[in-house]
Amino acid sequence: MVDLARKILFHDKVRFLITVSGVAFAVTLVFVQVGLFEGLLANASVTIEKIDADLWVSARNTPNVDFSNTFSETMVQRVRSVPGVARADNLIVWFGRVALPSGATENAVLYALEDFTHWNLPWRISTGDARDLRRGKYVILDDSATKRFGPFAVGDYREFNGQRLKIIGRTAEARSFTTNPIAFLDYRVAQSLDRQSLHNRTTYILVKLAPGADAPAVAAAIQHRLPYNNVWTRDAWAVRSRSYWTDNTGLGLNMVMTVFLGCLVGVVVVAQTLYTSTMEHIKEFATVKAIGGGNAQIYAIIAKQAVIAAVVGFALGALMTSGLRPIMAGIDLKLSLTPSFAFVVFAGTLGLCLAASAISFRRVASLDPALVFRG
Amino acid sequence: MNVLEAADVVKTFREGTESVSVLRGASLSLARGEIVALEGPSGSGKTTFLTILGCMLTPTSGRVAIEGRAVDPNRPDRLPWLRRTSIGFVFQQFNLFPALTAAENVEYTLNLKGLKGKSARIEAARVLEAVGLTDRAHFLPRDLSGGQKQRVAIARALAGSAPIILADEPTANLDSQVGSQVLELFRDLAKRENRALLIVTHDPKVRGVADRVAHIADGVIQN
Ligand SMILES: Nc1ncnc2c1ncn2[C@@H]1O[C@H](COP(=O)(O)OP(=O)(O)O)[C@@H](O)[C@H]1O
Ligand SMILES: [Mg+2]
Repeated sequence: MVDLARKILFHDKVRFLITVSGVAFAVTLVFVQVGLFEGLLANASVTIEKIDADLWVSARNTPNVDFSNTFSETMVQRVRSVPGVARADNLIVWFGRVALPSGATENAVLYALEDFTHWNLPWRISTGDARDLRRGKYVILDDSATKRFGPFAVGDYREFNGQRLKIIGRTAEARSFTTNPIAFLDYRVAQSLDRQSLHNRTTYILVKLAPGADAPAVAAAIQHRLPYNNVWTRDAWAVRSRSYWTDNTGLGLNMVMTVFLGCLVGVVVVAQTLYTSTMEHIKEFATVKAIGGGNAQIYAIIAKQAVIAAVVGFALGALMTSGLRPIMAGIDLKLSLTPSFAFVVFAGTLGLCLAASAISFRRVASLDPALVFRG
Repeated sequence: MNVLEAADVVKTFREGTESVSVLRGASLSLARGEIVALEGPSGSGKTTFLTILGCMLTPTSGRVAIEGRAVDPNRPDRLPWLRRTSIGFVFQQFNLFPALTAAENVEYTLNLKGLKGKSARIEAARVLEAVGLTDRAHFLPRDLSGGQKQRVAIARALAGSAPIILADEPTANLDSQVGSQVLELFRDLAKRENRALLIVTHDPKVRGVADRVAHIADGVIQN
């Protein structure tokens, strides 16, 4: 078979390049925007995903993991007595003010436990040992603090809410959605930093289930005993924390708009170049009809050109995105992209290019083959 | 038996409130192996008549029969099939596909007619050899001369087994000498392959290769 669609497409290389660049640009835009969004949003639930807890108990109506509220720390006894609970511990998540050597102050998010050994927290520690935290006024600080607080070293002291804490370790990846670095410290030390709010109070109870226990059933049992708290499965809590930021900031809408604009640009470029190409080859399409081809044959030619533009454009866009990734990582922007999302973008590119080609169909449908006899 | 018969063909174009009768009862028949020249001045309706014979345009009234079967004016959807199976065209402006080589131009036409793969390539090579272009088979149209382009177009019309070949002013874009050569070739091939050939023209050279000359004037045909 002579592949007229491909031959026509590659015959005019400049136009093909324009079409493909339009698609590639749109694909890159969507990848980068969604990747950044996912990368940012991952911080909104990173601790929920990393901490080894099946259920989270929060104060009622806590909107996300960062914006915690307090309740009595004795509630943990009730949770421990619920059948199916293997382990339950208090976790304090609280904002702390850190005085910098420069005299300025910055916020850190404090994560405080009595015993760090059971909860996979911190999940990536490069220096120090979390078990030492309980020995005194110590703190383990995340690397991301360097950017906000300036360089720091193990052995340095920093003032947290007016108390001097010694830095005894460093972690990686522990950063909140608010871009504040996370500081890990002992539960009692955390309470001493804000007596007014935290005296005898906690913000969460982490729950690990016994093997074979049914999470929703245990959650319901805990909820029954703690009617003034909320009980979340890990997944529900992660979703809630993330959707707080997408729904209550312009972030979600912003992303939807950019993705929409990216798709629009792509569709317009493809529709426009395919349509001008069709118009320029109209006499050839009339010839196809004259020698016995039907509309279907011509639709197939145009659709195939759209598919080629989509596939090549997508490949180029994906290539450009993977080239941008290390550059963006260098300026501290994480692109979070999954194969399944890439597949969705590919399918979308294909669908939109085909839709863009459809505007040329109408012109072809009304094309008179007798045009071949006219000058 | 005639492979092409047209009787009392009338074609009236409506332009706004005015209507123009281009054909007013034109009749013509064509047998296999026969070469007919249809002459007439510019604007006399030659191309309109050819378009009707070529199943691209439905006449206002009158009958057209291809290979003994009447063309149903109420079934325009069947016209592409008739063009595919029974008719080969040669145009004044060659109308080759610029992105395809000479061989691919012929092969693509065969693909449309239902012949695919290797058999299409063999048939394309055969007709290109018949028009003497074997050594130009892989040239794009832009690298061929006018005469060579028209020979590719003739090869394309002959490819497959359409019994009827219709040509509209095939020499109009060629200089006189090249035109004569193309016409000689056209004649030889039509005779050898027993095709019916109708050449519509106002070029007097065409008479020289025709078995019969018909004239069109005032919308009717005089033999
Ligand atoms: N589609 C059309 N609509 C209106 N008038 C047409 C159309 N096609 C041809 N005509 C008219 O019919 C007449 C004959 O045209 P044509 O068949 O092209 O003549 P020729 O090929 O002999 O030069 C011309 O006056 C032309 O303007
Ligand atoms: Mg004409």
